[in-house]
Amino acid sequence: MIDNYTKYPNTWDEMFDESGKIRDTYRSFEHFLKSTPIDTINQMQDFSSQLFRDHGITFTVYNDNKGVERIFPFDVLPRIIKQSEWNVIEAGIKQRIRALNLFLRDAYHEQFIFKDGIIPRELLLNNSCFIREMTHLNVPKNIYTHISGVDLIRNNDGEFYVLEDNLRTPSGVSYMLENRQISRRLYPNLMPKSKVLPVDNYPQLLYQQLKTLVNKQNPEIVLLTPGLYNSAYYEHTTLARLMGVELVEGNDLVLDNHEVFMKTAGGLKKVDIIYRRIDDDYLDPLNFNSESVLGLAGIMEAYRQGNVVIVNAPGTGIADDKAMYVYVPDMISYYLNEEPILKNIQTYQLGKPEERDFVFKNIDEMVLKKTDGSGGYGMLMGKNATEAEINDYIKEVNKKPQKYIAQPILSLSSAPCIIDNELSPRCVDLRPFAICGADEIKVCPGGLSRVALKKNSLVVNSSQGGGSKDTWVIKN
Amino acid sequence: MLSRVANNLFWMDRYIERSYGLLNLIKTNFNSTLDSGDYSSWNNILSIYLGIDKNQQFENYQDSLSIIKFILFDKNNANTHLNMIINARENARSVQEHISRELWLSVNKYYLHFSNTDIINKYENDDPITFVNDLLLFNHIYYSVADITQERGNAYCFMNLGKYLERVVQSIDFISVRINTMDLKNENIYESFFWKNLLISIGGYQLYLKKYKSIFGHENIIEMIALNENFPRSIKYSVNKLHIHIERLYRFNNLEDNQLLFKIGKLKNHLNYTTIENIKEEGIDAFLFYLQSELREISSIINKTFFYQIQ
Repeated sequence: MIDNYTKYPNTWDEMFDESGKIRDTYRSFEHFLKSTPIDTINQMQDFSSQLFRDHGITFTVYNDNKGVERIFPFDVLPRIIKQSEWNVIEAGIKQRIRALNLFLRDAYHEQFIFKDGIIPRELLLNNSCFIREMTHLNVPKNIYTHISGVDLIRNNDGEFYVLEDNLRTPSGVSYMLENRQISRRLYPNLMPKSKVLPVDNYPQLLYQQLKTLVNKQNPEIVLLTPGLYNSAYYEHTTLARLMGVELVEGNDLVLDNHEVFMKTAGGLKKVDIIYRRIDDDYLDPLNFNSESVLGLAGIMEAYRQGNVVIVNAPGTGIADDKAMYVYVPDMISYYLNEEPILKNIQTYQLGKPEERDFVFKNIDEMVLKKTDGSGGYGMLMGKNATEAEINDYIKEVNKKPQKYIAQPILSLSSAPCIIDNELSPRCVDLRPFAICGADEIKVCPGGLSRVALKKNSLVVNSSQGGGSKDTWVIKN
Repeated sequence: MLSRVANNLFWMDRYIERSYGLLNLIKTNFNSTLDSGDYSSWNNILSIYLGIDKNQQFENYQDSLSIIKFILFDKNNANTHLNMIINARENARSVQEHISRELWLSVNKYYLHFSNTDIINKYENDDPITFVNDLLLFNHIYYSVADITQERGNAYCFMNLGKYLERVVQSIDFISVRINTMDLKNENIYESFFWKNLLISIGGYQLYLKKYKSIFGHENIIEMIALNENFPRSIKYSVNKLHIHIERLYRFNNLEDNQLLFKIGKLKNHLNYTTIENIKEEGIDAFLFYLQSELREISSIINKTFFYQIQ
């Protein structure tokens, strides 16, 4: 099976080096792949799908108003990272999160970074994620982004680059946990031998980090979900279950004298920390979207008065959109006086005429994105688009060029997957999860490796044919 | 515990209990039509369980197999087995952090088994009794898993509240519809298979034989279903269980207003000091009417006490 493996051209492969030799990290899998018949591997694949289904590990997709539960495709071969590489990633993420928190505080207070001309002020003024109610508000322990999922890719030079900082309500962490559970079942011998760093304590880590946000012995922490019909509902129940906290919906909460309570069978119970998995827009109908029935009217005032902690803080979206992304290395040197450990991907801002011209001339090599888009929507992949599609897109861009950015077409690294009875490369990214508490930032060793299951595709999003792999960080 | 969660737990068990009652009825009614050849016996089930009124009943369905298929699989009627399992599972899905992992897996497996696209084929190619027995096994697994894995806290009590309230309602329906309105002119009722099926449908045949030997009569059956304290489907047994769990809920949640405890205690004691002779004197209709109105009130106080915040 290994002999028939055809690598993608100009792509870093996680298992094979340029000369086609197997990298050290995958040594144990060489033996596994050589000695295991394909039927057995297919059975492992079936076994894992069945396990996902039986456990109800599903996400809901909506078609014609009818929700269909799907499982997130899982490839049985793990993606393996050396601990020495991981250490760099970890340090890089911590550095970024520190800088981003300082930036958020600055942006909602004195705005030095804008006054000093490091970042153009328009990016803040025109930012739809900017929340006026957050200005000059001192958030608990000065933390804005408590939970972040930083998307990384490995470029063809073998280095990790940051693709996106997800600072709002990043999801996927339950898949990191479940994938590991399945690996345990699939590789009862291989796993312990490989000395994989554990990820299972993420829920405890999260709980302990959240606890540091208030000065209280046993704060009441709840997880606020939009409800059963949300596509990430499974993740919400899993985290609540594993952290041992209540999973609440907006209707379960009530305000009294600007304090938040939950309605229990034994009466009202005060809530101290809300880990919310609903977007800013739906958080408080009095302040934001007045049609929202998901949040709690008046919660922003309770938050402003310091009676409840909202995690992540409202308004973090200003720091993770694609236009602000360009300036993260500048934030790192401005606030921390450090060199960025993890690089950004070269990004062109279409708001700048010369960069726009350059992008339009080289559109075949570019990916164009909306600065406020997510989930892989609203993108144009230059080399795959027809002329008409390109022209339409350019027309849209010219209406509001500052709303768009472009990046050279990336080469995501590939990892071997089992596809149609063969070992075949597919592109992967990596989303590690970082949790910021009052005293320190912790990053769970591993994360979610998403896989673009379509051949030659770069799109890893679950809504568009993506799958996932377990991510092993192994001791050197 | 959140009121909404309590309410979901309550309904999760209520749906499972109801589906259990329905499956047993399907099985025994099918059996009795094999003996009697009288399909009209389905009408009662269709009206009590599926809310289908007499005049739109099943001219199109000529045989038990197609009626059972409807009761099991119809998507549009809210009370079919399919919809009850979907509802039980939806309720379970939203309270996963309060039920044992094993219990969630068992409900989810039941749902996956019964919502599988092949299941109708399987029904059509299988003997219906075997098919229903396979389903009943899922109910049995559910009860056992709940028994051995579920922590005895709030969650367990709310589940039991749902279960026994549903059961007592079913037992009252059973007496009022299947015994009390019995057509005494129907010659079948003098046949032992009729009684046998009736008793099997609520799982009381063996106990009945032991207690009343082979003397069949509707007074004996009423006595057993209403007042036998060891018969797990009797009204008395279920009310005792309700009392136990309500008392625990009072303790767990430090409730002050003891209206609910008072009501359920009163009903429990009423049944304790009632004999079949009393019921006969009072009249079966009056007895049932009393039970129904007490339970309606208890239901509404349960709502007010524990779930009111979600109304």
